[in-house]
Amino acid sequence: MVTIEIDGIELKVNNGSMLIEAADEAGIRIPRFCYHKKLSIAANCRMCLVEVEKAAKPLPACATPVTEGMKVHTRSPKALAAQKSVMEFLLINHPLDCPICDQGGECELQDVAMGYGGDVSKYAEKKRVVREKDIGPLIATDMTRCIHCTRCVRFGDEIAGLRELGATGRGEHMEIGTYISKAVSSEMSGNVIDVCPVGALTSKPFRYSARAWEMRQYESIAPHDCIGSNIYLHTRRGRVMRVVPRENEAVNETWISDRDRYSYEGLYSADRLTVPMMNVDGEWRETEWDTALEAAVSGLKDVVDHSGAPQLGALIGPSTTLEEMYQVQKILRGLGSDNIEHRLRQRDFSDQDAAPAFPWLGTPLAALETANAILLVGSDIRREQPIAGHRVRKAHVAGAAVFAVNPVDYDFNFALEHKLVVDPRRMTSALAAIARHLVTITGATNPAGLDKLVQSPEYDTAARAIAERLRQAGRSTLLLGASAINHQNFAAIRMLSALIAELSGSTLGYLSDGANGSGAWIAGAVPHRGPGAQAVQTSGKNLAQMQGSGMAGMLLVNCEPDLDLAEPQSTMQMLKKAEFVVALSSYKSPALLNSASVLLPITPFSEMPGTFVNAEGRWQSFEPAVAPMGEARPGWKILRVMGNLFDLSGFDYMSAVEIRDELQKLVGDVAKDNSLAWRAPEAGQIDGGTLVSISDIPIYSVDALVRRAPALQKAQKLLGPGFRISAALARKIGLKDSQEVKVKQGDREARIAVEIDDRVPESCVWIHADISDASKLGAGYAPIVLEKA
Amino acid sequence: MANEVCFSTIDKKIPWSLQTYREQGGYDVWQRVLKQKTKPDEIIAEVKASNLRGRGGAGFPTGLKWSFMPRSAPGQKFVVCNSDEGEPGTCKDRDILRFNPHAIIEGMAIAGYTLGATLGYNYIRGEFWEPYERFEAALAEARAAGLLGRNILGSGVDFELHSHLGGGAYICGEETALLESIEGKKGQPRFKPPFPASYGLFGRPTTINNTESFASIPYILRNGGPWFAKLGKPNNGGTKLFSVSGHVNKPGNFEVAMGTPFSELLALAGGVRDGHKLKAVIPGGSSTPVMPADVIMDCTMDYDSLAKAGSMLGAGSVIVMDDSTCMVRALARMSHFYYEESCGQCTPCREGTGWLARVIHRIEHGHGKNEDLDLLDDVADKIQGRTICGLGDAAAMPVASFIKHFRAEFQYHIDHKKCMVGGV
Amino acid sequence: MNTVTNYFKSLLLIELFKGLALTGKYIFAKKITVQYPDEKTPYSPRFRGLHALRRYPNGEERCIACKLCEAVCPALAITIEAEPRTDGSRRTTRYDIDLAKCIFCGFCEESCPVDSIVETRVYEYHAEQRGDLLMTKEKLLAVGDKFEQQIAADRAMDARFR
Repeated sequence: MVTIEIDGIELKVNNGSMLIEAADEAGIRIPRFCYHKKLSIAANCRMCLVEVEKAAKPLPACATPVTEGMKVHTRSPKALAAQKSVMEFLLINHPLDCPICDQGGECELQDVAMGYGGDVSKYAEKKRVVREKDIGPLIATDMTRCIHCTRCVRFGDEIAGLRELGATGRGEHMEIGTYISKAVSSEMSGNVIDVCPVGALTSKPFRYSARAWEMRQYESIAPHDCIGSNIYLHTRRGRVMRVVPRENEAVNETWISDRDRYSYEGLYSADRLTVPMMNVDGEWRETEWDTALEAAVSGLKDVVDHSGAPQLGALIGPSTTLEEMYQVQKILRGLGSDNIEHRLRQRDFSDQDAAPAFPWLGTPLAALETANAILLVGSDIRREQPIAGHRVRKAHVAGAAVFAVNPVDYDFNFALEHKLVVDPRRMTSALAAIARHLVTITGATNPAGLDKLVQSPEYDTAARAIAERLRQAGRSTLLLGASAINHQNFAAIRMLSALIAELSGSTLGYLSDGANGSGAWIAGAVPHRGPGAQAVQTSGKNLAQMQGSGMAGMLLVNCEPDLDLAEPQSTMQMLKKAEFVVALSSYKSPALLNSASVLLPITPFSEMPGTFVNAEGRWQSFEPAVAPMGEARPGWKILRVMGNLFDLSGFDYMSAVEIRDELQKLVGDVAKDNSLAWRAPEAGQIDGGTLVSISDIPIYSVDALVRRAPALQKAQKLLGPGFRISAALARKIGLKDSQEVKVKQGDREARIAVEIDDRVPESCVWIHADISDASKLGAGYAPIVLEKA
Repeated sequence: MANEVCFSTIDKKIPWSLQTYREQGGYDVWQRVLKQKTKPDEIIAEVKASNLRGRGGAGFPTGLKWSFMPRSAPGQKFVVCNSDEGEPGTCKDRDILRFNPHAIIEGMAIAGYTLGATLGYNYIRGEFWEPYERFEAALAEARAAGLLGRNILGSGVDFELHSHLGGGAYICGEETALLESIEGKKGQPRFKPPFPASYGLFGRPTTINNTESFASIPYILRNGGPWFAKLGKPNNGGTKLFSVSGHVNKPGNFEVAMGTPFSELLALAGGVRDGHKLKAVIPGGSSTPVMPADVIMDCTMDYDSLAKAGSMLGAGSVIVMDDSTCMVRALARMSHFYYEESCGQCTPCREGTGWLARVIHRIEHGHGKNEDLDLLDDVADKIQGRTICGLGDAAAMPVASFIKHFRAEFQYHIDHKKCMVGGV
Repeated sequence: MNTVTNYFKSLLLIELFKGLALTGKYIFAKKITVQYPDEKTPYSPRFRGLHALRRYPNGEERCIACKLCEAVCPALAITIEAEPRTDGSRRTTRYDIDLAKCIFCGFCEESCPVDSIVETRVYEYHAEQRGDLLMTKEKLLAVGDKFEQQIAADRAMDARFR
């Protein structure tokens, strides 16, 4: 600690901190543009020049470390003269187009100019003009307004980990832009809009639509991934106009992913379901709530009466709120059915009894960045959970070793120290190899049945290196991602990962699907456990079992059966065969119109209260920002009335908070424990065929809301069509890039253009699960045949 | 009293060859140091005793600079030679590279040994192709003779030296921008502190000196610090290369003692062009303030005398202007140079140099306004002392000094929309 | 004493003649009544009457949807919605002024950076239904087109005071 004096106020500040930090803490405002607390110090805008006693020249507060006895004047004549002259220089080439600038009203330059700018410019020469740039569908540019603070460049370098933006040219000719003309591809690129102090980088979808002063700000939680980024919804006249980050050091710091930022556009998609609808003799009719609810309840009651309660099932999207999930399972269990499922993309349920009370990250999110070694198992973490990916990157920058066992050589924004890019059929083998090495290193007894799983000696070097580093790291963690959790052999992967974690002293974490994948387990939205992982008398049917046996009645909540499930074809068949299907949905999804009997409009997250539990087990509640659209109502209200109509007890809630409190009281502190006792897993094989499909969910296809956000869809299109094979395989079949190929899976067939991508193992086909042709095919991670068309 | 240090080989047959250099005792010091393992402190003391001041322009005592280097810090350390001689009017380093490259190599090797650096870089200006080739050839000779590399002459001392050809940016002559450039980044100065001695090339302790400084080191150690100090005057040790250009009969580089009267230097360069009178002199390269004829004629060429007279010795680049020179046009050309060469990193310089250049251009072309001169003074004043590196000051100082000494000429341009000095 | 004075005053009809003198004075004085609508009083170029949206001489609408008028309006009478036009420029898709709310303070005009929204000298307008008092963008532009000459002349006259 040193003692300094700023503007006559004596302060005690930490050694090594910069003047501006000390001043900020003391609430002394020093104007600045290039300084940003999350970015490195550039000291290039010179706006924060202050007078330091005994220094010959004014010094930049952002780059001047405090020293004992330092006396600083931020508003002395000398400091003010320096600040005003910098302001004058900044303004000579900055266009005076505030009236048409989207930053107008929330512009740092505008604000500071009010305090330090002159009323008349002495500059009478020509102003600089910079040619327009197109850097993609998310960010609008007006680079003439740029003041060269390089915050965006530093954001790309230091936070996003992609050097996409840079300064080219010298002096006044310096321009910020992509080095070669292209769209920025970072999954967090939207944050440059927030860091840009002027209107050079603004939001493209939001362009010209509202002014800062017209909007109200509501706190909310992002509904797309297991991070639960804290956000603000900015609304105007009952409509969400944009989303900006809300600072929370423990969760998302000051950043949010592009998915969280731009998905709001989907809230106003043309196919929003705003009125209850009933299918009457094959024709959809809009109807009153009373009628629709009567019909829904009596239809489901009929199913229970005729086919028995075990013939009734519920599928819940993993981004549904805790309150809704809890009520759905309460209704189903009240009616006598345990067939409740939220693990819509999972395929292997064989070890569900051994699963943890709820799958969690194994460590607080903020602690991820302090790990010394991280092993990603089946995870494209950058795109699945961008903010968690950012934490992993931070750990890597701080010196952590990151490894991956992945089916595709995903491009991360950090270097992998070792990687095992393996055919999905060999994932267990690769993991078993690591585990086997750990057994040797630690001298532990060799668990029975482990040796049998090691089939591929070719992974040996990398596997041993990973094992050694994990063991030595001290703080290390394993993260199971989507292609592990949704793998056909998830049980074996989980068991081996748990073994690796135990032997190496690492934590084991899940990056679960949806915004509430963890909450779903707490709410009891699984067939074999009630709320808080309480045992149930008889285990209900999981998704695979429901698909296998067929169901007479289904309740669908917040999911699109053709896009949100692992095996869309068999799901659609199941739904079509069912006698009665009720869907609670925010959208008139074609698949629902095709298969449901009653559609009840529920509101998306912006229009209702609710709670998401993120991967670290943090309960985050939010309130509605705008009124429900049309006749749509919050899911908890609809489910409460359905409970009443079913004559079930305990459905007297007056608010969503009551539901949450009831659940919280019921479950107490749910154990955060991902450990697993060893039980030799079966090395189940994906049988038959030489080729296997790897199916992952592209970043902007994870849920109904994102799929309806036009700007994000445009951004996704730039990433390519999404049917990829390696060059070697293409040669073998005799294919060229973007040539069509005949694809066969079981009895299904499609013709799709291939993209050659050497990140895919030779024996695999990497398919984005959402491309329209893929829905004609079967499930992912299954044998597939390619023939020359 | 001329050509005793850096130019001592210049009259020989092949001045740049290893043989010529050895004949006059070259590399003796290096071999002696390697053999005796002279204590670094002794070498630094000798350099301090020589009163050698950095020849790049700032005139910081070299011995003192060396003593700041954390010699015992673990890990890689570097010495870097700044041969990015981009200052308009300067061409002395070019001729050292061409005619006495081995002096630089020996100087850097000794510096490397003294400062605990095993790796050195010589950053050569992008336009210097011939000097670059000659320096490369000298490096090859030195390596072949076993004077560079690992375990040099069996002494256990390592020192490797590489040259690096720049890309042609003036700003890379600023030491931290030069480091960035060697690292492969855009040449932009770093904010100081930390100084290169603690955080330099690739984040390691680094000492950077000018070509002429390094080339003087072998001679200082060969003949002793006091010898060198005595060549010049107190506090301004040694001889200095002066690049005399402009309106003189015989422009060129001249090695003369520090403290030589300007009139003598002018005489060496053959005097002012015949039939013209001396009007003004820029004594240290375009970024130093201009001096009217009567002031400079009373000065001696050393740091202290010129500082007292309101200018700077800089890199010793004497630009002579006779009475046919339009001062407005001269300033317009110089301002345009700084406008082009500003790196664009920090605000006052990026925006200010363009502002200055445009206003002066306007005055020169007869579109000046009465308030323009005060505006120029004001803008120059607002740039000075507020930038990351010295380029802002370098751009502002000539403007302030030209207007101070030749205001009438500028006013004439504004009033009459034409030049006072015949010409345009 | 007072009673005596009053008695004589009333006897001599002094008040009556005073009143008649005044009447007589105005009978012969110059008449100032204006025969509206046949006659009109002169009024200032700064008069704040009906609103208009102006165009540039090339026909391009001036308004750039900065929304300053909406923000400054004390009666909240202005409603604007904006989006990028196909050429990328910032334009309004809706510009409503509710004349029933408007207090004709002129702030909108003063805040406009491009002299787009103005208050004309027009005050003779009426509405038969409340909805007629809602001036839409089309109506405002039409007013502007109709009175552009006078609007421009008025602004020019006032220019040196602004």
